[in-house]
Amino acid sequence: MIFNIQRFSTHDGEGIRTVIFYKGCPLRCQWCSNPESQSFSYSVMYDRTSCKSFGDCLSADDQVITRIGNNGIQIRRENIKEPERINGICPSKALTLCGESSSVEEIITEIEKDSPFYRESGGVTLSGGEPLSQGEELITLLRKLKERSINVNMETSLHVRWEMIERCLGLVNTFLVDLKHLDQHKFDTYARGDAEMIMKNIKKLTDSESHVIIRVPVIPGFNHTSLEMNRMIDFAASLEQVSEIHFLPYHTFGKAKYEMLGMDYLMGDHSQVEDSELEPYIRYAQLKGLETRIGG
Amino acid sequence: MLVKEKSDAVIERIQRLREKVLSTKPSVCTERAKIYTQVYQENEDQPVIVKRALALAKTLQEMTIFIDEGELIVGNQSSQHRAAPIFPEYAVDWLPEEMDELEKRPGDAFFITEEHKKELLDIASWWKGKVLWDRGRALMSQELRDLQDSAIIKATGNLTSGDAHIAVDFQKILSIGLAGYLEEIKRYHGNVERFSQEGVRKDQFYNSLTISLEALQVFIRRYRDLALYLSKEEHDETRIRELEEIAGNCENIAEHPPGNFYQALQLTYFIQLVLQIESNGHSVSLGRLDQYLYPFYRKDLLAGEISEDFASELLENTWIKLMSINKIRPWSHTRFSAGGPLYQNVTIGGQTPDGKDAVNELSFLILRSVGNMKLTQPNLSVRFHRNMSNEFMLDCMKVIEKGFGMPSFNNDEIVIPGLLELGIEPEDAYNYSAIGCIEIAVPGKWGYRCTGMSFLNLMRVFLASMYDGLDRETGKVFCNGTGNLKDFDSFDELYNAWKRQIKYFTRKTVEIDTAVDTALEENVPDILCSAFVDSCIPRGITIKEGGSKYDYVSGLQVGIANLGNSMAAIRKLVFEEKRISKEELLRAIESNFEGVEGEKIRQVLLNYAPKYGNDDDYVDLLLKDAYTEFIDELEKYHTTRYGRGPIGCKYYAGTSSISANVPSGAVVPATPDGRKAYTPVAEGSSPSSGTDVLGPTAAFKSVSKLPTQKIMGGVLLNQKLSPKAIQKESDKQKVISIVRAFFEELKGWHVQYNIVSRETLLAAKQNPEEYRDLIVRVAGYSAFFTTLSPDTQDDIIARTEHTLS
Repeated sequence: MIFNIQRFSTHDGEGIRTVIFYKGCPLRCQWCSNPESQSFSYSVMYDRTSCKSFGDCLSADDQVITRIGNNGIQIRRENIKEPERINGICPSKALTLCGESSSVEEIITEIEKDSPFYRESGGVTLSGGEPLSQGEELITLLRKLKERSINVNMETSLHVRWEMIERCLGLVNTFLVDLKHLDQHKFDTYARGDAEMIMKNIKKLTDSESHVIIRVPVIPGFNHTSLEMNRMIDFAASLEQVSEIHFLPYHTFGKAKYEMLGMDYLMGDHSQVEDSELEPYIRYAQLKGLETRIGG
Repeated sequence: MLVKEKSDAVIERIQRLREKVLSTKPSVCTERAKIYTQVYQENEDQPVIVKRALALAKTLQEMTIFIDEGELIVGNQSSQHRAAPIFPEYAVDWLPEEMDELEKRPGDAFFITEEHKKELLDIASWWKGKVLWDRGRALMSQELRDLQDSAIIKATGNLTSGDAHIAVDFQKILSIGLAGYLEEIKRYHGNVERFSQEGVRKDQFYNSLTISLEALQVFIRRYRDLALYLSKEEHDETRIRELEEIAGNCENIAEHPPGNFYQALQLTYFIQLVLQIESNGHSVSLGRLDQYLYPFYRKDLLAGEISEDFASELLENTWIKLMSINKIRPWSHTRFSAGGPLYQNVTIGGQTPDGKDAVNELSFLILRSVGNMKLTQPNLSVRFHRNMSNEFMLDCMKVIEKGFGMPSFNNDEIVIPGLLELGIEPEDAYNYSAIGCIEIAVPGKWGYRCTGMSFLNLMRVFLASMYDGLDRETGKVFCNGTGNLKDFDSFDELYNAWKRQIKYFTRKTVEIDTAVDTALEENVPDILCSAFVDSCIPRGITIKEGGSKYDYVSGLQVGIANLGNSMAAIRKLVFEEKRISKEELLRAIESNFEGVEGEKIRQVLLNYAPKYGNDDDYVDLLLKDAYTEFIDELEKYHTTRYGRGPIGCKYYAGTSSISANVPSGAVVPATPDGRKAYTPVAEGSSPSSGTDVLGPTAAFKSVSKLPTQKIMGGVLLNQKLSPKAIQKESDKQKVISIVRAFFEELKGWHVQYNIVSRETLLAAKQNPEEYRDLIVRVAGYSAFFTTLSPDTQDDIIARTEHTLS
């Protein structure tokens, strides 16, 4: 399932790219700026600011959606049985169903729409969610993209079984791998995942001679200290095939979406990380012989 | 020649001149009006053409002239900077009606003294009933007058001012000089045989040409005398030398071809200026300035007689002079041209006749100097082609980044094949330039108005096809329909109704244009302008009588995107999905989406119908077909010059509708695309504001599906970017990359970039619905501004301010 196809994306790999956002992720990073990407099934999004209280949605399922006076609606998401009924029901699109079960062919059609713009360096970037959690359909898509000679980048946490990654070798031009933390305890507290598995997979992947770029989200309270950051930089520098590291400073642009999804935002009031705060990391990474970039 | 470096003093001097022009409040100058009135009164026996030559001559001989402190390029249009001359011979009724309101206009206000008002009242009373406006209206049938009054077809600006939309043959002017023209005229004049009516007319034409050109020489020599006089009064040694050089320049170019770059630029400016004293038509353009001035620049540079810095100062001085020229329009026309633009276009880049990259050092210099001045004049266009260097494109992006919308790009890859198909000779096709905004013509060989004929309001026509031909705004049926939407059983029936209506209105635009053109030809022929356009002199006739080598014109069709979106909404939501009934739709648009039900319908129309600009064939191809109905009909007609000499004499489509989308929308009730009554319609060929939500590449794809090679009047596309989106060089490269793809692969016609200001972002925050297509550069990625939370928006607004300096 995908939740968005974004054309003219200029910061998720080289050149002009179309990004396919897959739905579903094994991790639960608290800073996640695409919370709608976490669930593997439909998500119901409700944007109170564009709700005009037409009331059309009430007919979808009166057990689930109820009016709160003249001030919008309340949704009991846990009771939704037929989410498809919500699709297209709201005239102002304040209430929307996030997620589409697009076929591989449909996705290819969308990707090819911008092919005049890919030129030498652009192409498609598979993102998410976690693209590697998509199973067989992902492999089918990758093979078809290879047949069409479309450049493929993949944004991934590698938090999957190695067998799945192995099947993608030779089909992905560049892996943009998220490295969040090396310490299992910290990782588990903020992202609910297995740090060890990610590191092992990164090593195997780089050993396979795939082109890998390491991307480190810089998150206050989680990894935004020289000690923690330098360890990750050391790790990246120790990988022979890796020559590039990107730092992605924490921002709060996804915050509003948590409310739309009825989810809690656990990052609290941390303010965004300024580029200038990254200078020591950039210097250290360069000292270690890595090319650096802020943002994608 | 003076060889100087660009010192701080020079930069300061240019800034002072720039500030002076910018801070001068626009006013009205009555000198020209008084002189023209007097000459017309005293020469009633003369044919119009001689009267006009005498009036121009007397104006050039007697009008106030001045040379400003520090100016290097001289010549003024009226008694003060930014004072608009009055052209009473075109229209006067508006003067007594509007003169008390001029200062209070919400936009484009003009300062006028009580004394001037009194003079203008006297002038207006003599001209009443004798002007172009009256003649044009008299030549129309009642039906055409009704159509014009209904605002479905607008040609007001064409009857209240001259034609223009033209670039003259600067290359020839610079190579033979004014004396060369006088000799050529004398030669042809000598061969005129006066025993035919044609001969008598030619005799008068050559007389007029001689009077006008000699007066131009007098005008230039007046600046020589003034510069010499000022040099005697001056104490500063440097300025004395400068004034002496100005005098020397004028002395030479009043007669001979220019001897160096400085003189060539001065003569070019004089011609550009005087054409705008002769006529008040706008979009008088300079053509390919980097091409015809280059031999002079190169020669001076090699001889060590000019520095790049000095050439740059001269160019910057020229841009300020162009900015000082002004035009006053009646309010009705002002709204179509908001911001008082003169659209004096300069075109750079492009190819040589053998298909090589024509960019030279002067192209870079012009580009950068326009960027330095950041004025609205000249309007700078770059002719793109596939072999254009990345270095030049990057320089273009650096100027675009400054956020004043220039340069815009025209695409050789579609324009040149389009011109060749029209029968333009290859050498001429490769030499085209932009005129005014984005429209194109071959400089010095093309007649007036490659665009700028009448405006057709497509949405009024479409609404009439929904109501059996009834125009609800006037209550009139101009063309009997084929039924009402409420009785149609299929979308095809509606489409057929459109075909019938658009055919009728297309024919009527040509009928109105024909009346207007006839009046312009008979009442207000341009003489100087004709002298500088091939082949008026050999043929012995004005441009309007068929003197030009080529003659193709276009009107403007307004509301392109709304047409496609409205058709798609009805087809999909009413006929296919039946989500909205015909009655519901009609009720909603007739009540301007009033009440909860109306608003609900509007939201469905906005959110659930395909919108042009998102690379969706459903709407894009429907729009292409609907617009093609207009184009096919238009191709049947000819201009008034047909059979009188020029190649072509035909119409093509055009969408370069300047600011007309606002007043055109102001006369259109609510439409089925969800647009509310009397709000602006979409501009040019751009998607409707806020509806192209998939970004610039999808918009490019949609626009390129239009029959662009047949829309030679221009396929205008505006794209918005935030300053941050092109701040880094790597980002500029990405924009270059999509522009290249749009032009090389998709054969796009034109694009220009709007780098959004803080004000826009604030407005976008207030009215997100209208700005859904606004892209901003956020942290490490780009995002649609309106999708961001209010606090993030505030953050970006604050940051944008930093980037705008």
